Amino acid sequence: MENELAISKAGFEENSVVTTTQYIVISLGTEQYGIDIKYIDNIVRMQQITRVPQVSPYWKGVINLRGEVIPVMSLRVKMGLEKDVETKNSRIIIIKQDQHEPIGVMVDSVKEVVTLSSNQVEKVTGEAKEDGYVSGIGKQETGLISLLDIEQVMQDM
Amino acid sequence: MDVSQYLDIFLDESREHLQNLNTNVLALEQDSENMDTINEIFRTAHTLKGMAGTMGYKRMQNLTHDMENVFSEVRDGNIKVTSSMVDTLFQCLDALEEYVTTIQETSDEGDNDNQPIINALNACLDAKGGEAPKEESAKKSKKGGKKAKEAAAEEKTETASAEVPSIELNEDEQKAVEDAMLANKKLYSVLVKVQENCLLKAARAFLVFKAIEEFGEVVAANPSTQDIEDENFEFEFKVLISSDGELAPIIAAIKSVSEIADAYGGVFEGSSSDSGKAEEASEPETAAPAEKEPEAKKEEAHEAKTTEVAKAESAAPAKSGGSAPAKKAAGKPAVNRTVRVDIEKLDSLMNLVSELIIAKNSLVSSATSLGSNNSQLNDHIEYLESVTTNLHESVMKVRMVPIESVVTKFPRMIRDLSKKLNKPIELYMTGEETELDRTVVDEIGDPLMHLLRNSADHGIESPEERANRGKPEVGSIYLDAYQDGNNVVIEVKDDGNGIDVDAVRKKAVERGVMTEDQAAAADDNEIINLLFMPSFSTAKQVTDVSGRGVGLDVVKSKIESLSGEVDVKTKLGEGSTFSIRLPLTLAIIQALMVVVGNEKYAMALGGIQTIEDINPADIKTVQGREVINLRGNVIPLIRLDQVVGVESTRSADENMVVVIARKGDKLAGFVVDELIGQQEIVIKSMGKYINKCKFISGATILGDGEIALIIDANALI
Repeated sequence: MENELAISKAGFEENSVVTTTQYIVISLGTEQYGIDIKYIDNIVRMQQITRVPQVSPYWKGVINLRGEVIPVMSLRVKMGLEKDVETKNSRIIIIKQDQHEPIGVMVDSVKEVVTLSSNQVEKVTGEAKEDGYVSGIGKQETGLISLLDIEQVMQDM
Repeated sequence: MDVSQYLDIFLDESREHLQNLNTNVLALEQDSENMDTINEIFRTAHTLKGMAGTMGYKRMQNLTHDMENVFSEVRDGNIKVTSSMVDTLFQCLDALEEYVTTIQETSDEGDNDNQPIINALNACLDAKGGEAPKEESAKKSKKGGKKAKEAAAEEKTETASAEVPSIELNEDEQKAVEDAMLANKKLYSVLVKVQENCLLKAARAFLVFKAIEEFGEVVAANPSTQDIEDENFEFEFKVLISSDGELAPIIAAIKSVSEIADAYGGVFEGSSSDSGKAEEASEPETAAPAEKEPEAKKEEAHEAKTTEVAKAESAAPAKSGGSAPAKKAAGKPAVNRTVRVDIEKLDSLMNLVSELIIAKNSLVSSATSLGSNNSQLNDHIEYLESVTTNLHESVMKVRMVPIESVVTKFPRMIRDLSKKLNKPIELYMTGEETELDRTVVDEIGDPLMHLLRNSADHGIESPEERANRGKPEVGSIYLDAYQDGNNVVIEVKDDGNGIDVDAVRKKAVERGVMTEDQAAAADDNEIINLLFMPSFSTAKQVTDVSGRGVGLDVVKSKIESLSGEVDVKTKLGEGSTFSIRLPLTLAIIQALMVVVGNEKYAMALGGIQTIEDINPADIKTVQGREVINLRGNVIPLIRLDQVVGVESTRSADENMVVVIARKGDKLAGFVVDELIGQQEIVIKSMGKYINKCKFISGATILGDGEIALIIDANALI
């Protein structure tokens, strides 16, 4: 059995190059999510958020990040979870895609950085993909990580 | 050396020249006999051709060349300016503009030869009739090829008697000369003169070097090649060429480079540069040939110029008349006291000033929170405040440009429209010198164009109709710009039909925008404002000028994105006036800081009239809306706490703070909880993701780092 696995793994590696991606692991409630590190510009502690009237409920407001005004959204509300409760572990992740203005994403806490190789990631397809922002599941000794499709999150505004 | 470093200058200047040509051709149409205009056009066309040639844009050069031919014939009185000719010329200018645009986008001129336009231009030349045109075209076809060479050869024999320019050589060059002599090559020393009005001397020199390289090799140059590349030379330089061939074709090639006034030389017989004496001697010697026969040289310069315009034979009479004005323009350009600065540099300067103002605000707020009575500190802060305010104003002024740069293209546009629509229309413009922030000026062109087209198409009636109404047959459109306080107003006024309010009303019902009752109840202003709604065009006939239902709504949204507003006044049968009101500056404004609930908001001070203390008992209700009667004005109240969705900190029976703001001729009172005071704020964008509600126009960072949102009172009135 073990042998078989090794063989199939070797065969796999021969056929395609195994790429590795680094993810920042964050927590929302009891779940862990991973965000591709290439989108992340910065992670800042909670600070005063200025509320903006008459915007979608998932927008927390705007913050002053070194002289720039940056909108911050609640990933919890966006994902359909309960409202955020601010704790000392709460963080705002500044996400910057090329060509786009940066936005902040509020999360419960930031845990660690993990490196996943492509054979540790299982792509989410079909129905599950369509109604969510999760593009894949990363498998690790410590548990499963839902990998967020940031581009989808940003597009959906 | 690479020509591409000149590309920006080339694009800038080509645009300027094309705009000049447009303006002048338009003037020419009005007054076809004006010699000054014709000469000006000719000069501009010639410069443009030279520039295109230098940059190696052959097609553009050819087209300009043919256009220049037409002007040159006009100048000599051989052909008359006709309306069809002007049309062709405009087509030609459009095509040239297209080249420039293509060059800007791809740094290549594309592969459109614009042959039809060239043919049309040549047809203009043929129009003078008789034998002449044939001769002309025959001449033209030869030009640039044999003809130039022949001419050059003739000139060469003339100049053969001239002294061979001496050239001093350094050791390396001396060695190269010896090598070349050993290799049995011929050495020629050539003096090249650049026209005195030449702008890109180094570029010309580069092209000369390139031309020479086709025949042989440049062994040495004086000044050195490095100096020539750096434009460290007056109007002439010497080169030592080693070649297998004859001198004449080399000279011809050099002369074919535009803006080269002259080139002559002879066989080089060796130099005596190893002694210091020779160097001294060479000075007067080099000057000598230039001094000795300035007359002859001038003649030659003319000759070269005239060959260029393919008129060698008929040159004699044209020479004195034609070259004189060109010479005048060639005089030393007046010392320019301006600097071209990249707009990005200005933007970053502006950003720094914004940062400085934020920093100053922080300082002010910490000084206040310290509550110190240190008058010295307060003095310093006051001084700092006045300095930053002045600094801000100066930077703003630097960014200001006259709207001239956008409006100069309109006379041409109206002329074309007038032809297309078969309506005689005259455009009168005033206040072109009015200045606005560069970013605003860049954006304002399209909306203005829409409004002008709108006036020309929908406003001005057909000549018959105008005659029936007892109006002058020629319709008038006025474009007036002026500064009004902290705003700039641009008005587009026509003496046409005006807006038929009832037609719009009917249309509104037809389109289901309003019910019949609503339409009947709505006043004229409300109805007219419907025109600014997307896809609401009243044109009975859709023309390709306007009437596609896009236009006024685009104008409105564009102007609003610039924090401005559009307003219409109209009288049926007498015309309409569209006024655009724009703020002078966009990035930094004076604002009134207010508190609503426990949130801070900024309101632009510009629109604010007064601040009132109102007793809740004075509030009346009219049609379900709260109003107050303020010194005879009935003013609707807008409760900001409800608008932004917070709980007011004041109890219902307490007196209210009401900020009265004006938009156009409408007033409204904004109920706030507290006033903080007036402050200079820097407007920051909130990004496109979150900017969902219309009445929040941006955000600003306060002295303590906190963010306050900016309420756009205009969006709420």
